[in-house]
Amino acid sequence: MALTQKGAKSILWLGTLSSLILFLILTVDTHRQVKVLTKAENLTDQVVQGKRVWQKYNCNDCHTILGFGGYYAPDMTKVYKRIGQEGIRQVVKKPDVVLASSWRKMPQQNLQDKEVDNLIAFFKWVSEIDTNDWPPQDSGKLPPSAIRRLMASASAGPGGALFKEKGCFSCHKIGGVGGDMGPSMEGVGKKYEIGQLAQYIRDPTSVNPKSNMPKMSDLTPEQAQQIAQFLMGLK
Amino acid sequence: MVYQSQKVAYPYFALALLLFLLQIVLGLWLAINYFTTLPQGLVNVFPFSTARAMHTNLLVLWLLLGFMGGTYYLLPDETKSEIYSPKLAYLLFVIFALTGVVALVGFLFGWNQGKPLLEIPTPLDIVVVIGVLLFLYNVAMTMIQAKRWTAIQACLLGGLIFLAVLYLFGIPFYQNLTIDWYYWWWVIHLWVEGAWELVAASIFAWVLIKITGVERQVVEKWLYVEIGLFLFTGIAGTGHHYYWLGAPRYWLWVGGIFSALEPLPILLMVIDTMRHVKERKVEIKNRLVWTYAIGGAFYHLLGAGLWGFAHTLPQVNYYTHGSQVTVSHGHLAFFGAYAMLNLMVFYFAMPRLRGMEEHAEGRGKFAFWTMVSAMFCLGLAFGVAGVVQSYLERVLGFGYMATQEQMRLWFAIAFFCGLGFLVGAVVTVYDLLFPKPALRAVPTR
Repeated sequence: MALTQKGAKSILWLGTLSSLILFLILTVDTHRQVKVLTKAENLTDQVVQGKRVWQKYNCNDCHTILGFGGYYAPDMTKVYKRIGQEGIRQVVKKPDVVLASSWRKMPQQNLQDKEVDNLIAFFKWVSEIDTNDWPPQDSGKLPPSAIRRLMASASAGPGGALFKEKGCFSCHKIGGVGGDMGPSMEGVGKKYEIGQLAQYIRDPTSVNPKSNMPKMSDLTPEQAQQIAQFLMGLK
Repeated sequence: MVYQSQKVAYPYFALALLLFLLQIVLGLWLAINYFTTLPQGLVNVFPFSTARAMHTNLLVLWLLLGFMGGTYYLLPDETKSEIYSPKLAYLLFVIFALTGVVALVGFLFGWNQGKPLLEIPTPLDIVVVIGVLLFLYNVAMTMIQAKRWTAIQACLLGGLIFLAVLYLFGIPFYQNLTIDWYYWWWVIHLWVEGAWELVAASIFAWVLIKITGVERQVVEKWLYVEIGLFLFTGIAGTGHHYYWLGAPRYWLWVGGIFSALEPLPILLMVIDTMRHVKERKVEIKNRLVWTYAIGGAFYHLLGAGLWGFAHTLPQVNYYTHGSQVTVSHGHLAFFGAYAMLNLMVFYFAMPRLRGMEEHAEGRGKFAFWTMVSAMFCLGLAFGVAGVVQSYLERVLGFGYMATQEQMRLWFAIAFFCGLGFLVGAVVTVYDLLFPKPALRAVPTR
């Protein structure tokens, strides 16, 4: 090939500079747009303190967030939407209890209540970042197809829809779908009466003192009743 | 060996090799974490996160020590003069070694700034920055005093300065998580697909000239083209990390297009290496250096080029991002692109530093093939786990742990691949620290 030394040098400079200039221009523009995309107006002191907690305990070397970090534990991008603040509090405060039946453990790092509050604020803010609809498993547009099938086939009704919407699947399994933190919901209708179940959902320890489930207190009694009705159908 | 000051490279190489072994041991421990259940008490005091921080920092530390040692070794030969200050080089070695020890022990006690791969806390960052500045001073002064400039020197110095500047972006505390990761990639991506490629390509070009006797002008010409393409695809290619972190949508296009081109410079490097080898003007001595040079070029293409390409397009990456697919790519790419390059330099330099013109190659060859195949199997095991994870968790919507259950077998397989790799690595390190002279000395022409 008749490439001269000079030609080679110009490839070096042309390649490097064109890419670098494009990259720097887009960086400036990204800075401008990130404020909107991350809802920077909600980035309060508490959120920043929460980020410091996240870093202090090196959470990111087991968990991913925005898909980055260790791959040893679930992604935290949408954790606030998935298990809610009570869910987060339970896991962080009592990982040994909540993950007692899991074959992978989380360390007990003895966080103070204030630190947990800050961490929750941080997760809440992160869950609002516009991530181009990532991760797929938490995407509203693409409900996981197994759940979609389940919802379509069963006479799930409003209770089933609520069960999915309120993130119960993140801890409980139905038909092989869902998390491992709590027990499977199959056959739960045999164990409890419908009223007990509705009560359990809103205030777990009042029915089962040993329960680790967070209180689903943002549900109205009617909604809890509807979920209980759905669960009764699973016996 | 003509220049006395090349000797300063030896402790850098020796320590790098020991850290390499320690890195593998921690890797095996991580694999155990992945497929067994550990008691809560142990997890509380030595969690996965701590072991991972050690595993990855050891990688960075031993590779950087290797680069610095390599620089000190080739510099006198390239500038035809001694190192500006060998004393400073030794002093910096002690400083870097101590910083490493403090960092690793610190991790055990939670002294950690909580950013993956950049875990070392700010005070240690400052020590590293000062150390690197002094290292650059020593390198630059050697070149300036020698008044003999070559393309290899220029690219090497450029790469090292670029490397040092990028490190600064990882030090501050960023309030906005998106911005934090944006600049995190300036360190990680622009290191491995920018600055490190410059350093590696320069060192590689130097070794090629040495072992093939091909004309300098030819090697340097292709060095320019390779680096031009590396930086053209690599800099804007950083965008392939910006798909899902809260940055504008155009990164899907920029990242997708530029990073799809990233295998090209690596392919050029492979073709180039093969051509230089074919047109060699010196007879083949110390075959292991050749083995590592050619093997490394191909592995670089496989691990960084093909494995990277496999999940770099946004349509694929949407499902594979943050899964074990990344782990598979990470292992194959770092081993192929940088670990093998360093081992090649060690095989070139270490026997010579001990006054051995030619060394026996039996053990080293066995170790090479053991490591290469074990790492390939390891990459495949993580890769299968990653595909399972992408499909079950991201497409079907299985829960995280329900998915991990289906991947468990592949983590166990990864562990045994890792054991095989450890065997190869132990033999390599032993072979390098205690090389055996070749049985029959070939008379030099």
